[in-house]
Amino acid sequence: MEIYAQAIVNGILIGSIYGFTAFGLTLIFGIMRVVNFAHASLLMMSMFLAYGVTRTGVNPYLAILVEIPVLFIAGYILQRSLIEHVIKREPGVREPMSVLLLTAGLLVLIENLALVLFGPDYKMARTAYFGATFKLSGVIIKTAWFYGLIATLGCYFLVNAFLKWTRMGQAIRATGQDRDAAQLMGIDHYHIFGVAFGIGMALLGVCGAILVPFYYVHPAVGWVFGINSFIIVILGGLGSIPGAFWGGIIIGLIESVGAQFMNATWTIVVVYGVFLSILFIRPAGLFGLRQEW
Amino acid sequence: MNGLGRTWRWIASPKQYIGLFLVLLLLAFPLVVTSPFYIQIMIMVLFFAYLSSCWNIISGYAGQLSIGHAAFLMVGAYTSSLLFSNLGLSPWIGMLIGGLLAVLLGLLIGYPTFRLRGAYFAIATIVWAEGLRKIVENTEFIGGLKIGGAEGLTIPLIHHSLANYQFVNKTYYYYIMLGLMLLIIYLTYRIDRSKLGYYLSAVREDEDAARALGVNVRKYKLMAMAISAFFTALAGTFYAQLLLYIEPVDIGGIALSIEMLLIGVIGGRGTIIGPIVGAFLLVPCKELVRTYIGTTYVGAHLVLYGAIMVMVILFFPQGLERPFRRCYLGLARWLGQAERAEGEGR
Amino acid sequence: MAILKIENLTKRFGGLTAIKTFDLEIERGQIVGLIGPNGAGKTTLFNAITGVYSCEDGEIFFNDQSLKRIKPHQACELGIGRTFQVVKPFGGSTVLYNVMVGSFCRVNDRRKAERKASEVLEFVGLWSKRNVLGKSLTIADRKRLEVARALATEPRLLLLDEVMAGLNPKETEDAIALVREISRKGITLLIIEHVMQVIMSLSDKIAVIHHGEKIAEGVPAEVAQDEKVIKAYLGDEYVFSSSERN
Repeated sequence: MEIYAQAIVNGILIGSIYGFTAFGLTLIFGIMRVVNFAHASLLMMSMFLAYGVTRTGVNPYLAILVEIPVLFIAGYILQRSLIEHVIKREPGVREPMSVLLLTAGLLVLIENLALVLFGPDYKMARTAYFGATFKLSGVIIKTAWFYGLIATLGCYFLVNAFLKWTRMGQAIRATGQDRDAAQLMGIDHYHIFGVAFGIGMALLGVCGAILVPFYYVHPAVGWVFGINSFIIVILGGLGSIPGAFWGGIIIGLIESVGAQFMNATWTIVVVYGVFLSILFIRPAGLFGLRQEW
Repeated sequence: MNGLGRTWRWIASPKQYIGLFLVLLLLAFPLVVTSPFYIQIMIMVLFFAYLSSCWNIISGYAGQLSIGHAAFLMVGAYTSSLLFSNLGLSPWIGMLIGGLLAVLLGLLIGYPTFRLRGAYFAIATIVWAEGLRKIVENTEFIGGLKIGGAEGLTIPLIHHSLANYQFVNKTYYYYIMLGLMLLIIYLTYRIDRSKLGYYLSAVREDEDAARALGVNVRKYKLMAMAISAFFTALAGTFYAQLLLYIEPVDIGGIALSIEMLLIGVIGGRGTIIGPIVGAFLLVPCKELVRTYIGTTYVGAHLVLYGAIMVMVILFFPQGLERPFRRCYLGLARWLGQAERAEGEGR
Repeated sequence: MAILKIENLTKRFGGLTAIKTFDLEIERGQIVGLIGPNGAGKTTLFNAITGVYSCEDGEIFFNDQSLKRIKPHQACELGIGRTFQVVKPFGGSTVLYNVMVGSFCRVNDRRKAERKASEVLEFVGLWSKRNVLGKSLTIADRKRLEVARALATEPRLLLLDEVMAGLNPKETEDAIALVREISRKGITLLIIEHVMQVIMSLSDKIAVIHHGEKIAEGVPAEVAQDEKVIKAYLGDEYVFSSSERN
């Protein structure tokens, strides 16, 4: 029984972090109708950045302070210089395929650039949090995972508050709902896209910072979380951050509890199976936006 | 004006004889360049030209972007290899059976998945292909049948023979692949000019409009998927027989799927020779980069692919086939004029 | 002989009843107009007839054949053609290519399809633009292409959804002439239109739909004076449906 309690707790912890990796992705989709295929590689880059910060001996979580501005700016530039160019070419189309392909190209480019620059070796950040755990009513909790959960919840509420109560946040939501109407209100929706993309990337940045204390850093690490992010985003409903959060928890639980019955690879197959089933039954996801299918 | 005369004029017009000339070059290549290193590179060029052309049928013409096509390769490779190792069945027959199994798989997956649009379909293809690969990777034995799991399968080296689909000299493989490539070009050409081709393009552009014009969208998507899956699987057998070793991550992995996609997109989706152009441009670069700096800088060739992909999407969204075609036609026109100047009229 | 019989049709979207107990009979060879304020359910009705939507209640008969559970491509094969309110040309293909897709509904051979498509293009007056890409056409030509494509499927009943919207007076005149030509070929027409003088002059009879219900039916003169109709339109601006976004 205790084993299951442990598995469930672990599942929720890691699941919330999985969900966190999907926040940026779902936000970008919800606002811009763009599926950012480069997501996995960008997460990987943010992990390398955080790793670099930890090499200076500083507390790894302080890397967040570096990640947020750097990735926000990078995201804004990426959106406005490359992606915008492609979106502008297909003005009537809501979900341009070319952007998908562009970001796929970026994925290949960024991942292999990292491979060339940093080499394929797995790196592990030697911080005080590596392997640290604490006990809470009989259950062992990995400290790094716990902080991950805190960061996830923190960002969740921050982003929701931002979207709801700030002018920029409302502008972003408006653009996401109806970009033409927003334009009529005087909103420069390309600037908004840039900001939204920047925020999505900043969220990735925070992810990188919280993953580094307990996960290996290497150029292919994006794939570990990448496919899961897409699954979570669709499971939870594209554009829905709460959906991403709960979707992540579900995946985390399936993996963690499932691992008690089968080996890790099969839990992944189960996750994929669940995903495909949900995709066929309810493509809009748990909290999905009402999409025309 | 007899038929023979018309045929001769068709062949003799610059547009065709440049193409025929290129084919002749390809046919003569291994006889002239005997170095196995370069023959191997050309085999890979032809291999990817073929693969991307197969991919092109469902993802280019029908517009359903598949990022999981390597799964069909895997099905083809494993089917023919298992039948060969365990039953002694000639890989050629195993290849056809693999093709049929791939068709079944494609239809099975396509039926529920084609309901999804654009990116959702693409993501679904990644997930099911990766899921299949992981299952194979995780399966050592099915009953008494050795699958090999992550270690992969070795194909027994028996002896050089056509029936065994095993050859001592790489040149044989070269010609097989060349034959397959010419076959798929011809097939694509026939599809392009047929009702199937028109309907697939309609589906790609606007499904609702297509339906209103009598196009059974689901049926045609499945048809395209079946054709694409079948021919992709044939290449799986080829790959298995070429290397005599297959493992899931290589032959069924997402890296291969993405490579097929990159070449197809960079070359030009929905065109007859787009993927061919893409492969002939990219694969030699990749192989050369990999040989000369790939050992120190692993992955450098893919950086190149990624960069070119981004450039193409930004500046040549229809693919590089377009400027290539313009050059080709320009050359043909120039040659045609040069002939006329010499008094050889048409 | 009734080519189309709609009996007691009801279509619901969750809590919203888009079409309520709608009845309509169309005789072969007629030109019937369908008018009503925006959002009244006109395009929904087209979607129901062509099988895009399935209906909870009621039946539709095409030449005495029930259209229940029919799919859009089957409706086309049976002989029901339609255009879309927001035109959907195959932008990356030529005009000829567009129409050939329609022709392929009836033939399998490419050369035959090309011949038939060429005939249709001549008929609608787009032959000179046959090699122009769909996305490069003007609005009027796009509408024309939309009609040509549908005509290529050799429909017996053609549903036109606001083909006149966004046209200038000269283009509207040409369009009216084309519609008359189509009718002269024996094709029955059901036309949704907002441009009043067009629909009044073209139609043999008009049905008026409002909030999903038929509130009037009759010859144009009758309908124009019907109190219910005038009430439904009071306060409703005459809208130029010129939003050509996809």
